[in-house]
Amino acid sequence: MVEQPAQDAAVKRRRERSLAWEFRHLIPMVAIAISAIAIWELIFRSGVWGFLFPGPSQVARALVDFWNSTRLVRAIVATLRRLAVGFLISLVLGALLAFLMVRFTTFGKGIQPYILGLQIFPSIAWVPLSLIWFGFSETTLLFVTIIGSVFGVSISFADALRTVPPVYLQAARNMGSDGMDLILRVTVPAALPHLISAAKVGWSFAWRSLIGAEIIFATVGLGFLLNASASVPDIAGVMGVMLVILVIGIVVDQLAFTKTQEWASRRRGLRPRR
Amino acid sequence: MKGADLKLVMLGKRFGGNAGQTEALRDVNLEIRGGEFVTIVGPSGCGKSTLLSLVAGLEEPTTGWVAMDGHRVHGPGADRIVVFQDAALFPWLDVTGNVEFGLRVAGVPRKDRQQRVLEHLEMVQLEKFAHARVHELSGGMKQRVALARALVLRPRVLLMDEPFAALDVQIREEMQSVVQDLWVRSGTTTLFVTHDVREAAVLGDRIVVLSHRPGTVSAILENGARRPRTLNDAGVAEAIRRSNEILKAEVQWSSNQPKMQL
Repeated sequence: MVEQPAQDAAVKRRRERSLAWEFRHLIPMVAIAISAIAIWELIFRSGVWGFLFPGPSQVARALVDFWNSTRLVRAIVATLRRLAVGFLISLVLGALLAFLMVRFTTFGKGIQPYILGLQIFPSIAWVPLSLIWFGFSETTLLFVTIIGSVFGVSISFADALRTVPPVYLQAARNMGSDGMDLILRVTVPAALPHLISAAKVGWSFAWRSLIGAEIIFATVGLGFLLNASASVPDIAGVMGVMLVILVIGIVVDQLAFTKTQEWASRRRGLRPRR
Repeated sequence: MKGADLKLVMLGKRFGGNAGQTEALRDVNLEIRGGEFVTIVGPSGCGKSTLLSLVAGLEEPTTGWVAMDGHRVHGPGADRIVVFQDAALFPWLDVTGNVEFGLRVAGVPRKDRQQRVLEHLEMVQLEKFAHARVHELSGGMKQRVALARALVLRPRVLLMDEPFAALDVQIREEMQSVVQDLWVRSGTTTLFVTHDVREAAVLGDRIVVLSHRPGTVSAILENGARRPRTLNDAGVAEAIRRSNEILKAEVQWSSNQPKMQL
């Protein structure tokens, strides 16, 4: 068995190559991040803004301090919990509204412009009213998150449902499916890739509304931490929290939405395998 | 199960609102014996597909009615299954998922379902593709799946809406023999719509020629040729010749008419 070691090496090399292969799509992303940090460092070292513009290392230190004092973790947990609850409620309400708009076309046509208007309406502008209604409470934060995203969700859910080719519904009705059975067996799976993009639009609305509301009045949360750092002022802290908000956005988008969307599309052969 | 008798009585269909109505079908009368294979041929836009939708109950007629075994048809039902031109398979399900769709809707137990699905996949020779996804199938294979999906429900009437129009000539002829085979085995009443006179002549025991808009029955031809038929049979050639004559006269007549605005 003279060839054994050579064979093992070949197998090992192949495995390593396939691992690198697996993550190769991340290479441009990482390269961009490194370049951005490098440019940031360069601007910092040029000193044009002096103490107003902290460098990457100072921001990193601020984040480590936040982490050690558990303020960051508590903020992330509080914000993500509000986001999850608010966004879920918004998905349910948005789906109901979308269903009504698609099922009753006249109602849909009549209400569409108003929902579009409410979707464009700045969610922060809901804060004063909700403060009067619900006071300085979790309810207010949830309310702003929901009201800031539910209209965007319903409009894009309705659009997604309208993409279902009528022939699928005909074929299913022909085979005896009807009513709720038809919706669950055909409409929803047929629209799934579009429904996922719609949810993605909705989550970005929810995320923005929530952080905005937290900046205005929360006592715990990323928005609050951002505001609190600004009033010290702890400029590195402000930039650190901003970075965390950015990274959470990227991670949720990539993991929760882009991946599931790819999966749903690939199953029906809409996009070639990566 | 024996195929159902079908009776189309003064069947008519108009589309659209009061302004700009189009009349797709007018006063279609047709009696089809249980287990018969009838082809419906006509120029495009003659209301052939509408006719099938009315029998399927996917659309309601404006005038007249459809009766199955003497009972008037209302709304869709799994006893009258349509095979659509583009197969209309569900891309989020695999082949098995598509074939068992109607059985699931009907609440057939899992074991029964599996057995019937397998049986019908074998009938269309796709048992090896039970777990293939729809986008991995060729056009002919998709129509085989659509046939299995229809026949697994043991429909009393099979309605085929130009199912092979988009296929290559060779595949189309192969599918024509598959359909004749399945029809013999299932004994279901079959209404097969096509714009291809040759296809109509090979498949139909009777050939119904529809006129251009509004669709009315111009002629019903008895097909003299014995099954299994091919395009080369003398009887088939005769049926093709006669259908073509009627269709030609039809087209000439309608092009000599002044354009009417309804």
